[in-house]
Amino acid sequence: MKSKQSKRPFIITWVVVAVIYLAVFIAEQKLPATSMLFTVLKKGATYALVAVSMNLLNGFTGIFSLGQAGFMLVGAYVYGIFTIPVELRAQVYQYYDGGLVQFTVPVVLAMIMAGLAAAFFAFLIGLPVLRLKSDYLAIATLGFAEIVRAIFQWNNLGPLTNGSNMLRLFPNFNDFNLRDADGNVTVYLSTLIPFIISGVCIFLIVLLIRSNYGRAFKAIRDDEVAAEAMGINLAHHKQLAFCISSFFAGVGGAMLAMYQTTVQAKSFTTAMTYEILLIVVIGGIGSVTGSVISSFLFVACSEWWLRFLDEKQMIGDFEVPFLRNGFRLVVFSVIIMIVVLFFRRGIMGDKELWDLGSGAKKQERRAAK
Amino acid sequence: MSKNVLRLENITMQFGGVVAINDLSMRIDEGEIVALIGPNGAGKTTAFNCITGVYEPTNGAVYFHDKVIAAAHPTGKMKRMYAGNDPEKFKGMHVQMTPDKITHMGIARTFQNIRLFKSQTAFENVLIGTHLRRTSNVFSATFHLNDKEENRNREKAMELLDIVGLADVAEEKATSLPYGKQRRLEIARALATEPTLLLLDEPAAGMNPQETIELGQFIQQIKNDFNLTVFVIEHHMDLVMGISDRIYVIEFGKQIAEGTPEEIQNNQAVIDAYLGGNDE
Repeated sequence: MKSKQSKRPFIITWVVVAVIYLAVFIAEQKLPATSMLFTVLKKGATYALVAVSMNLLNGFTGIFSLGQAGFMLVGAYVYGIFTIPVELRAQVYQYYDGGLVQFTVPVVLAMIMAGLAAAFFAFLIGLPVLRLKSDYLAIATLGFAEIVRAIFQWNNLGPLTNGSNMLRLFPNFNDFNLRDADGNVTVYLSTLIPFIISGVCIFLIVLLIRSNYGRAFKAIRDDEVAAEAMGINLAHHKQLAFCISSFFAGVGGAMLAMYQTTVQAKSFTTAMTYEILLIVVIGGIGSVTGSVISSFLFVACSEWWLRFLDEKQMIGDFEVPFLRNGFRLVVFSVIIMIVVLFFRRGIMGDKELWDLGSGAKKQERRAAK
Repeated sequence: MSKNVLRLENITMQFGGVVAINDLSMRIDEGEIVALIGPNGAGKTTAFNCITGVYEPTNGAVYFHDKVIAAAHPTGKMKRMYAGNDPEKFKGMHVQMTPDKITHMGIARTFQNIRLFKSQTAFENVLIGTHLRRTSNVFSATFHLNDKEENRNREKAMELLDIVGLADVAEEKATSLPYGKQRRLEIARALATEPTLLLLDEPAAGMNPQETIELGQFIQQIKNDFNLTVFVIEHHMDLVMGISDRIYVIEFGKQIAEGTPEEIQNNQAVIDAYLGGNDE
C-alpha cells in the first residue's frame, strides 16, 4: 500500500540518534571536562533547539519572523528568576533588597514555565503582528525583540528582572553531574542533559510537523489562498505555529541561561537572531535534521575550529599574513557567502535524515523503469 | 420545486471606480450543474471570489442553503463612487465570512490558475483537504492519538485519488504532474473537504478535445456519486452545452442572459457578446 510508509528509515534514524547519545555519554566520562568539545556540544544542543523552533515558523509555516532572541530572552529570564536558590537571592538582587520572588521551583517546571511565558508573549504579539506579511512581519517581530530587551533592563522592573544587572547562581548544566559525598564528580551528565532536553523538544516538534497540523502549516507556506480555500483557518494556524515556536524558543532560552550560567538582557541582541537564521538557512529551510547538523557545525566553527585564525600562526619562520584578532569573522563571512551562493538549498534542502534512504530507493526505482 | 443551494442577490463588486460585477442575481438549485460563461474579463472569477469569501462584495448578499454568507452595502468612500443599483436595499446587513468558514459550510472550489501545494505530493495535497473536518486538537495530533481518524483520512484521500484516476502518481510531487492531472488533483482536493457545492473555475483550460469530453463525463459522475451541486466557469462551449442544466451569461459584469443550453445558443444578446455584435 502506497500510503503506508516503510518503517526502516525511522529505525535507522533511531539507531543513529542512540549512537550519538551513547558517544556523548562515553566521551564525557573519558575526556577532561574542560575540553572545547563539550562547550561546542552544549551550545550546539541549545542552538539546535532554537534553530528547529525557528525553522518550524520560517521553514514550515512560511512566517518570516525575527523575534527569536526576544522569546529566548523571556525564557532565560523566567528560568533564572524562578530557580535562583532563595538563600542566594540577596546576593544576586543586591540592589533590589533580594528581589520580589522569594521561592524557587524545580528546574523542569521552570523550563516549562519559561516556554509558556514565551508562548504567552507570542500570543499577545501575534494578535496584531500575524496580520502582516513577509518583510513587514519580520520588521515587527524584530522590533518586538528590541522592545523586550529594553523593558527587561528597565530599572523599575528591577525587583523582578534585576534591572540591567545579570541574573546568576541559578542551577546550570554542571549541576546535573552526579557527585559523591565529597563533591567529586562520579558521573558526568552536564553535556548529556542538554542533549536530552533538546532531543525531547525536537522530537515533539517533529511529531507536530508529521501530524495533520504540520501538513496544514506546510499548506499555508505553499499557498495561503489555496490553504484558506481548503478550509484552513489562517489566523488560528499561524497563531498556533507562532506560539509553539516561541514556546520552544523560550525553553531554548532557558537552556542558554544554563549554558552561560548568567543571564543579561543586553546579550540577547538582534545578532543572535541572525545567527540562528543563518543556521536555519545553512541547514536547509524546511529540514529539521539540517537545522540540527548546521547548528553544531556553526557553533563548532565559531567557537572552536576557526579560533586559530584569530591568533598569530607561524609555519617555520614564516608568519602567516592577515591572521589577527577578528580575522575569523572575515573567513566566516566568506564561508557563509559561498554557502548562500552555491548551496542555496542548504545542507539538507528540505529532506530529513529518514528521507535519505527512501529518496535513494525512489531514484533506484525510477532508474529501473 | 427543488431546493435552493446558492442564491446571489444584486451582487455588485466594485474596485475603486471599476465595476467588475454589476447587480448580478442568480440561483442554483440542488443537484444542478450550472455554468457561468462570458467573454474574458466579464467578471466570472470575481463572482466566484465573492461567493467563496476572497472578496467582500460592495453591495448585495450571498445565501448558501438560505443562510447568508456574505452581505454588504456601500459604505464610506464607496458611497460616492458606487455605480450599481439599490445602495439602500442591504442596509443594516453586514456579513463577511472568511474563505475557510465558507469551505467549512460546504462550498469547495478549484482555481483557474492551478494552486496546488507545490512542495507536497499528490496524496498529501488531497490529505490536506481532510484537515478541516478534524476532531483532533493540536495536542492529540502531536502525540498521534488521532490515529483512527488519521488512517480514515488517508484511506479517504487514496480513494479520492483513485476516483480521479491519479492513484498511480500518489507519491509524485503535485507540480511534477502534467497539466490535466493537476486539474483533476485540484478537484480531488476540493472533494476531500466534503462539499455540497463544488465551484469549478475553468476546469478544462488547456485541455485537448478528448480530455475535455472525458472531463465532462467525470464532472457528471462525481456530481452523482457525491450528491453535489456544481457551478462551473468554462470557455469550452462543447463542455458547457453538454453538461449544464442552466447557463448564466455575463458581459462586463452584467447578466445578459439566463436559460437552458438551447435557449442560450439561440439568444441574440449572447451571440453578439461573443462575436462582437453590432455596437450601435
